[in-house]
Amino acid sequence: MTKTISIQKLKKRENLMGYLFASPWLLGLIVLGMFPIIASFYISFTNYDMISDPKFIGFRNYEILFTNDGLFWQSLGNTVYHVVIAIPLGIIVGVSLALLLNNKIKGMSIYRTLFYLPNVVSIVAMALLWLWLFQPNFGIINDILDPIYKLFKMEPLRWHQAVETSKITLIIMGLWSAGGSMVIYLAQMQDIPNSLYESAEIDGANWIKKTIYITLPLMTPSIFFNFIMGLIGGFQVFTIAYIMTSGGPSRSTYYYAYYMFDKMIADQAMGMASAMAWILLVIVLIMTMVALRLNKYVVYLGEEA
Amino acid sequence: MKKVFLIVMVLITGFVLASCGGEDTGDKIVIDFWHMSPVGSPSFSGMKAIVNDFNESQDEYFVRGTGFSFWDYWDKINVAIASRTAPDIGLSTIDDVEARAQSGALYNISELIAADTSDAPLELDEFRQSQKDFATFEGDLYAMPFSATTRVLYYNLDMFTEEGLTEADVPTTWDELKTIAKQFDIVEGGQLSRLGFDPTYGNATYHGWLWQNNLDFFDENKLPTLNTQAHVDVLKWIMNFNNDFTRNQLTTFGEGNQLLGINPFASERVAMIVEVDGLYQIIKDAGATFNYGVAPIPIPEGGTRVNWGSGFSLEMYDNGKNETAERDGAFLFYKYLLSKDIQIRLAEVNGWIMSHISAMEDYVEGNAILEKLLAEVNYAVDKVYIPYAPSWHGNDWQPYYNEALSGTMTAEEALAAARANYLQKKQNYDAVNS
Repeated sequence: MTKTISIQKLKKRENLMGYLFASPWLLGLIVLGMFPIIASFYISFTNYDMISDPKFIGFRNYEILFTNDGLFWQSLGNTVYHVVIAIPLGIIVGVSLALLLNNKIKGMSIYRTLFYLPNVVSIVAMALLWLWLFQPNFGIINDILDPIYKLFKMEPLRWHQAVETSKITLIIMGLWSAGGSMVIYLAQMQDIPNSLYESAEIDGANWIKKTIYITLPLMTPSIFFNFIMGLIGGFQVFTIAYIMTSGGPSRSTYYYAYYMFDKMIADQAMGMASAMAWILLVIVLIMTMVALRLNKYVVYLGEEA
Repeated sequence: MKKVFLIVMVLITGFVLASCGGEDTGDKIVIDFWHMSPVGSPSFSGMKAIVNDFNESQDEYFVRGTGFSFWDYWDKINVAIASRTAPDIGLSTIDDVEARAQSGALYNISELIAADTSDAPLELDEFRQSQKDFATFEGDLYAMPFSATTRVLYYNLDMFTEEGLTEADVPTTWDELKTIAKQFDIVEGGQLSRLGFDPTYGNATYHGWLWQNNLDFFDENKLPTLNTQAHVDVLKWIMNFNNDFTRNQLTTFGEGNQLLGINPFASERVAMIVEVDGLYQIIKDAGATFNYGVAPIPIPEGGTRVNWGSGFSLEMYDNGKNETAERDGAFLFYKYLLSKDIQIRLAEVNGWIMSHISAMEDYVEGNAILEKLLAEVNYAVDKVYIPYAPSWHGNDWQPYYNEALSGTMTAEEALAAARANYLQKKQNYDAVNS
């Protein structure tokens, strides 16, 4: 009896210690995370110019955004376009890279580092670099593509400077950092038991069959994880457009987060910007919930015993 | 070993904490002043000396100056005002003083002047009424003009001489501008290598060109105009100024300018440009060796001699904490910053034209370019503050302007779309502010 009590006491003490050690982080989360989140929820129901006190106006901000703001829908449309194209492309490139780098050849760790390296570069520096690579008249990309342009007798692409290609240019640029998700794919790939491949080989499966029937199905959890992360990140796309295109040309890269930023900084309408942030949260939440529902159909979680 | 480690740690912690102490201000009341001369900037030591000189003359107050770069400054000051932690004195833009005054973020300068019984009052007459009007809200001053920006036509005198032209040929009208500009255009291998003038280069703006035509973006009720034939004509004049070249030639030339990362006038790629007074300092700092001059921006037939001003205001922030001692000390420093001698020193330190009239007259004497720049300040006008579209000339207008310039919209379409956007913004603003 006495022993049981002392174990419970010990458990309690251990819990307390746990909370104590986690307290700096918890405090940070509450003060720096929770408070602004709750405050922004309240502010979204107010008219707040960031100088005078916020005035409560109910759902007016939400109503205006949905019913009388063309840029709200345009920027949301641009963002959805970005998400719909960028996420599948990102997955394809990430998985392909992982497949290529899941080999036992000499210097593999160097290749892995090289492909991961773009993730270490600041997004601002990356955007500035690509700005010059894509530069239509002096950029290296058009220089390399010049023979192709000549072959097809076409005008050189104007990349981020033309309405038709601006969104896709930014998406292509984003693929440069696919190495981040690659690392996760690679980790899971290396977790796949060798015995599966061996038995497949005995059955006469080639590399393609092994990839389709073993590697990819067993990688679905990490693909799904990257899909969810890509979804959340994709809706927040901002920096590359801010630096490379200023939302142009013809507002073709004017993304939702960019409009939200302008609402706050240029229009000094913090209430409206907060409402936009909460609408975005709800959109991302719904998309993620739908994706999680699909989870059991697309993700392989092992055979039931 | 453990003991040694512990002692070392305690010592390091002690040093770190001691170094956090900052300046020794004694019992003096600390006044916070935010400016745009951060550590490492060329103007830092000059600004510091100005603050130090004030502190040395004081027993009661101590001014703590903090510098931010121009690009960082605006976010910092806006957040500080919003969170009621603004400095006692800071700089801001003069055209939107009204917004801050209305919300109670600023001290009423008129009241402070009225209560000032010292023998060194603020010399109000030394500041232009046109600038003071922008700092006035409901009849009272809530800020003072600090600097006075102006826009002028810079012309490359060496290029003029090459073409057999003299300063007497510097264009004064739109027609002359076009005729003379065309003499400087050079095409090499199908690409432009020099351009006489372009009405979109430098700091030339659509609203600036409108003002010269006695037009504006907004009427006296702050409603967007833009829908008249005259507005279309001005936009078309801008769009067609260099239409003897293809869009590709002009874009390539423009991108070449960007690639150089230096003002196209300073790199001698354009013969004439509309720019702010600050270009004088840029050319000087770049060590450019060509001869140049400045002149009023050419105006159209029947037009008005006017240029966009956009100066800084000097403001005293009221954080609602009833800090009367800080307020009084800040006002002393405020008067110091706006006094004649200090305004001259500030001009020397920052390379700005300051707002104190006689101080600047003394400062520019003997420098032909500065004299002309100062003369144009008298024709400078600030842009109006539009509550429903504070960035009306920037974020709200630029996308439509770019559509027109790139040919994806006609002048009529761009203006109509921009106007519709302003009207929608107004409607939405009114809906939450009624």
